[in-house]
Amino acid sequence: MATYVLRRLIQAVPILLGIAVISFMIIYLAPGEPIDRFRSGRVSPQTIENLRRLYGLDQPLPQQLLSWMVAFFQVWRVDAWGYSFTDGQPVITKIAARVPYTLELMGTSLFLTVIIAIPVGVLGAVRQYSWADKIIMVLATIGYAMPTFWLGLVLKFVFAIKLDLFPLFGRHTYGDDSIGDLVWHLVLPVMTLTIVSVAGWSRYMRSSMLEVLHQDYVRTARAKGLPGSRVLFKHALRNALIPIVTLLGLTIPSLLVGAAVTEAVFAWPGLGGMGVTAVIERDYPAVLAFVMVGGAMVILGNLLADVLYAFVDPRIKY
Amino acid sequence: MTVHRSDRPLLEIQDLRTHFFTQDGTVKAVDGVSYEIGDGKTVGVVGESGCGKSITALSVMRLIEQPGRIVGGSVLLRGRDLLRVDDAEMRDIRGNQISMIFQEPMTSLNPVYTCGDQISEAVSLHEAVGRRQAWERAVEMLQLVGIPDPARRAKQYPHELSGGMRQRVMIAMALSTNPELLIADEPTTALDVTIQAQILELMKSLRERNRMAIMLITHDLGVIAEMADDVVVMYAGQVVEQSDADTVFAKPHHPYTTGLLASIPRLGEKRQRLEVIQGVVPNPLNLPKGCLFKRRCPHAMPVCDTPPPLQEIARGHLSRCWLTPAGEPPAVGPEATGELAEAAASALQAPA
Repeated sequence: MATYVLRRLIQAVPILLGIAVISFMIIYLAPGEPIDRFRSGRVSPQTIENLRRLYGLDQPLPQQLLSWMVAFFQVWRVDAWGYSFTDGQPVITKIAARVPYTLELMGTSLFLTVIIAIPVGVLGAVRQYSWADKIIMVLATIGYAMPTFWLGLVLKFVFAIKLDLFPLFGRHTYGDDSIGDLVWHLVLPVMTLTIVSVAGWSRYMRSSMLEVLHQDYVRTARAKGLPGSRVLFKHALRNALIPIVTLLGLTIPSLLVGAAVTEAVFAWPGLGGMGVTAVIERDYPAVLAFVMVGGAMVILGNLLADVLYAFVDPRIKY
Repeated sequence: MTVHRSDRPLLEIQDLRTHFFTQDGTVKAVDGVSYEIGDGKTVGVVGESGCGKSITALSVMRLIEQPGRIVGGSVLLRGRDLLRVDDAEMRDIRGNQISMIFQEPMTSLNPVYTCGDQISEAVSLHEAVGRRQAWERAVEMLQLVGIPDPARRAKQYPHELSGGMRQRVMIAMALSTNPELLIADEPTTALDVTIQAQILELMKSLRERNRMAIMLITHDLGVIAEMADDVVVMYAGQVVEQSDADTVFAKPHHPYTTGLLASIPRLGEKRQRLEVIQGVVPNPLNLPKGCLFKRRCPHAMPVCDTPPPLQEIARGHLSRCWLTPAGEPPAVGPEATGELAEAAASALQAPA
């Protein structure tokens, strides 16, 4: 197992390099260049030229890419990822400061998603084609099709403006650091994220459970004389949860990177919101760091899912 | 275990009807099936795929799934109708008095639990024993079914065992509670021929040891010849012939049984072509009127448009065919068939 994880981590290096090259190139190919934000009638061409030299923009492209990549992997240095154009803070500090907020938002949403979607999916599978199942599936399809920015706005309109039950945006009321205030602020963004992900997860859980319920070993369990609940929870559910691990692996990156749109809609001070702002503000160092962190998380999430498989499925060994 | 033994047979299936209500119509998978299994007897149930033999067995276990439903008849286990006991009582019978093993050993065991876990689960469910004792019983059972190094095997997962070994585990699980009746649904179909023979030998020796009855479902007449005391031949949801095994092999009466026997290739026999029964099983949604076999039958006659009753053509030998006991076409015209059926029915009811 340890050698397997090590091998996968080594394999991750070239993938990460690939992500670095591609994201650098995409950003390079986007119209304009980093120092455009400094151009104005009052800035002399000489100053612009000095800035170009300062940021290394006068160098040939391969040289720029190389020096950025060398710097990027020196994560122990606070200035390795450069300084944000918007507030002059080191990008590493900025990202590190936002990770906890994203974790608290995404973690709450993931936890609720799992404890809601799994029972809902199981119910839909066990009572396939019943009224409950049909209602669940219709709601899940609607939820799945709903864009988060729209759902977020609707929830804000109804619960924050019309009913005045929850705050419009932000993480806490100024000067109030209590848990209660935090939870109060979490409700709407978590609801937005959870509605959409429960829709996807419950459909997935339902189909996984349906497949398992038709397996021969479920019939064997019933033929043994086991009560329905034991057949369902001990024999069927345990197997139906195995593919859910894949979904978990795919979700892990978003735990850290956050939900860009939802965070932006609710002005949540997390990484996702930062990414959106960085793109809009053309904050090049922040955008590059954001993309790279996201890429690394995808790789780690997949690795974690593969490792988890070995724990939930005895047929898999590394 | 004290078992009340009466004069009644262990299991009596009476006029069992299990229908599947599909979107395209009702499929009468089992339509008026009756047969009995005596204590310690092995009854072979033969027929093509889809003839209702497995559905009959699942109906006895009350394991029919949607859209199927048992719509009529009774299943008496020592005189108690299993179709009328409540769910808790039925669970107590399943895996305890009646156990079942299935065709596919590769998929019939749960992949995420060890073999020992799955066997001891059945033991502790039906008997008041602790975890440790249940596990010890599981290991004993694995030993009994001829698995080498049973203590180690008990800790293994199904995927670590071969198909034959897995079927042995299934048998160990089924027999761990000393059932009075074992339902074996094509237990050897998915296995290699050599493994098949081993499994059949194993079932035979365990049958003697536990003095249990077996309902052996198969399409393999060789297996029947090897194992069965009595034979039930099924076709399109009905019993078409029923007798002791010797009679069925020596003097089959129903043309379907004759066809089945003729289609077995024999070693050393110089034949250019394999005998087959012409045609295919009728569409269960659109069964022919009269005899269900008539379209494939070499002896089809006008009288076959009237459904033949299952009648006794010799002592203990039932056949659902208009042919006379000697195998001749009946001398009577179609209008007289009603009388023939009545005569057959009254002959059946008359004390022997």
